[in-house]
Amino acid sequence: MIGKEDALKVLEKVLSFCKGFDASVTLSASDLSLTRYYDNHIHQNLRRHVQALTVQVVKGKSAGVASTNLLDDGSLRWAVQAAMENMEVSGEEKDFPGLPKPEPVQELNCYVPATANLKPKDRAEACAVVIGAAKSKGLQASGTYSSGVSELAVASTTGVRAYHAGTEAFFRTIIQDGDNTGYADRLTRDAREIDAAAVAEEAITKATLFPEAVDLPPGRYDTIFEEYALADLIRFLGMIAFGADAKQHGRSFMARRLGEKVMGDNVTIWDDGLDTASLAAPFDIEGMPKQKVVFIENGVAKGFVYDSRTAAKDGVKSTGHASPLRGGRFVPRPSNMFLKTGDSSRDEMLRSTKRGLLVTRFHYTHCPEPMNVVATGTTRDGTFLIEDGQIVARVKNLRFTESMVEAFSRVEAIARTARLTRDWWSTFDSVLPCVKIRDFSFTGSTMF
Amino acid sequence: MLTELNRILGLAQKLGAEYADARYVSITQEPVSVSTDGAPQISVSKSTGLGLRVLVDGAWGFSATPYLDPRSLEKTADEAVKIAYASALCKKGDGVSLAPMEPKRARWQTPCKVDPFSLKPEEKVKILIDVVESAKKVPGVFRATASIMSYREEKEFMSTDGRQIEQTIIHSGGSVSVMARGDGDVQSRSFADYAGGGFEFVESLDLKSKAETLADEAVKLLKAPVCPTGVTDMVMGGSMVALQIHESCGHPIELDRVVGQEATFAGTSFLTPEKKGSFRYGSPSVNIVADATSPGGLGSFGYDDEGVEAQRVDIIKEGIFTDYLTSRELAPLFDQESNGTMRAVGWENIPLIRMTNINLEPGDWTLDEIIKDTKEGIFVDTPRSWSLDDKRLNFHFGQEIAYEIKDGSLGRMLKNAAYTGMTPELWNSCDAVAGKDEWRIWGTPGCAKGEPVQVIHVGHGAAPARFRKVKVGVEA
Repeated sequence: MIGKEDALKVLEKVLSFCKGFDASVTLSASDLSLTRYYDNHIHQNLRRHVQALTVQVVKGKSAGVASTNLLDDGSLRWAVQAAMENMEVSGEEKDFPGLPKPEPVQELNCYVPATANLKPKDRAEACAVVIGAAKSKGLQASGTYSSGVSELAVASTTGVRAYHAGTEAFFRTIIQDGDNTGYADRLTRDAREIDAAAVAEEAITKATLFPEAVDLPPGRYDTIFEEYALADLIRFLGMIAFGADAKQHGRSFMARRLGEKVMGDNVTIWDDGLDTASLAAPFDIEGMPKQKVVFIENGVAKGFVYDSRTAAKDGVKSTGHASPLRGGRFVPRPSNMFLKTGDSSRDEMLRSTKRGLLVTRFHYTHCPEPMNVVATGTTRDGTFLIEDGQIVARVKNLRFTESMVEAFSRVEAIARTARLTRDWWSTFDSVLPCVKIRDFSFTGSTMF
Repeated sequence: MLTELNRILGLAQKLGAEYADARYVSITQEPVSVSTDGAPQISVSKSTGLGLRVLVDGAWGFSATPYLDPRSLEKTADEAVKIAYASALCKKGDGVSLAPMEPKRARWQTPCKVDPFSLKPEEKVKILIDVVESAKKVPGVFRATASIMSYREEKEFMSTDGRQIEQTIIHSGGSVSVMARGDGDVQSRSFADYAGGGFEFVESLDLKSKAETLADEAVKLLKAPVCPTGVTDMVMGGSMVALQIHESCGHPIELDRVVGQEATFAGTSFLTPEKKGSFRYGSPSVNIVADATSPGGLGSFGYDDEGVEAQRVDIIKEGIFTDYLTSRELAPLFDQESNGTMRAVGWENIPLIRMTNINLEPGDWTLDEIIKDTKEGIFVDTPRSWSLDDKRLNFHFGQEIAYEIKDGSLGRMLKNAAYTGMTPELWNSCDAVAGKDEWRIWGTPGCAKGEPVQVIHVGHGAAPARFRKVKVGVEA
């Protein structure tokens, strides 16, 4: 871990090398430890410290970018020089608003020493709990336990100075019983909250419930989505439709529908990077403070997230959602999405379902038709048939293909509790309840 | 860096490692991009460091550091060994043992005519401005972007087996993307390709003329009908065949997925061990090789990150599945030696079994002949979305563009195209593959796998091909 004092010291040094120019510098660092297991034994186990210092040098409306992972004076000077050379030949960007001015940033305590100091042996022992539980029932356990610290520091010649460190622990397992699998995970800032035995029990229950999977024909089914599954559905709205660039390019279904009813009355979706129920962080990669942004309120399209460039174009302030793209560019993206809870529960949803499905999670979801946010993917690790309010069978995995705009117009029930959850690809974290959607469209099936 | 590598291997052995390998890697990347609504973006990045992998008591440990001073090397060695001891708390039987390799010293470099870093960024900007201007002049185009990627990786590998390998890997490529909008719709067309080689490859792409064609197509797509849903014969363009190979052949043949090592993240494989040597993966027209020696391939190299020589291996021969991609640890499951596919991204990651160039061998048709021979169907090209189940059986792929085929001719352009199916069924329905003149190795720089995720460069030799009776349509 670099630490606030040393991180900001490095940034000040870089700024001192940028005489005669405006500049912004970011230093991101990750100290990650990760243990993976399969077939009831650990097969990969690592620790790595990666860091990247990126300097953007600006003159008028021209900018150049360079980055290095080394923080010695020679490397820092190289980065500044390379950024200046790139700036000299980059030409002018007509709409470049300049580097953002500093804004007050809230302090958030997201650093938990117990997570930062987790040892390889601690992780191995947690894995051993799951492996032991699986072995005792003749099952196979696979999984991952990662823990570590992420740091982000931003400074600029316009006066921005920001630093944040946060810990994260993520423990997940898949329990395998032949072709049947069950999944469970826990995502938290504090590794002490991870109960490996509870994770094992949840996944084992899913893997062993109804050993014979049945074929179910594709079609529309009332479907209950556990939080893991919903994380995949909701991320497409965030990635494709809720950024201001999508609005400005006309790529978002909400681009010309602000103020209109676009989803069901019971759907309210927002982003709040300051809410510690999520993996909160107080500012973005431009050093701009995170603002709460409501996207959908009671089904009505309300707003978009902004970085400084898209904000200047619309004459508004950045909402603190700059997300890095390759080559020093940013795009505005949600990072801490929430779906408003309702007044139901998973059990109540089950009881109210005449015939439908329970989906644990998805695999390899994608978006073949972005304008209507049509998403597709296959279920995995526990898909079950519900009849007359009860789970009656395990179902072979199914492919869904469905417009998320339409699906969120048919939400029948929302649980009253929400949890921090992560999509299958581990790129998007949201705080979500379990939901039930009417007539969800499944278009294909698998053989397992 | 050989001194540092030697030193850290010695430290690891002293601490109890029965085997260790160390990689020093320095990567320089220079992406240059231009768009019609902003200034050119020029950036350069460098990443340098060392990764150490150790085997202690039959269990793996890995640690990586950007710093190469003696204290950092000691700390890294100590950490890797401690991690391995922790792994040994949950090992299987006696754990992992690797058969020794013959010591070897070697050096390999990507053949390259024009060093992509020898061109000044402003020269690349000038080329790209021409490209986007060429697209922008087509009425109806809203936005165009183009980019050139230059990549150099210097790598030194040393193992306690006595392997000492130095490699310089150079990759180049370019892309163009055009967006048109109107009547509440947005349609995009794009082209991208990358190769092992120098700037001569970027020049060969002729991005400027491609931009004009793509722009014209993007505008026409706005008024094109949506691809209907149904079952029909389908002809894929080369870039689509390349992705189909990647997702439904390249990933299922990774032996680490087959045994379950990727179960919690990327998934497993339907291609279980008893299928090796007998499973009918595709029709007799389907011949697939894994070839890390393909000239110009984005997945070509001299040695993998276990110090094993690059190889060409038959994967599917006349439709029969014959072999997996393997590692030193897993190849002995089939009494084989590794076929050299263990690769890591950068210095900070462990090596995993990765695709090299997974190539569908050319057939003896031409695209024209295939179209003329097709009574009714659709032609699809350029991937827009991809999705597969966790065993790589059920897939759904979206495309940027499609055309009807009627009575042996291309008809109306179709938008929002997609197809879906099951992997072996699709490859068994393949009855025509175009020949050498239309075959090329497509570079795929975004192959993701592993935890933490590693995004690696791979290649796919592909030519247009026909598949019979495929389910098409976005919501099919």
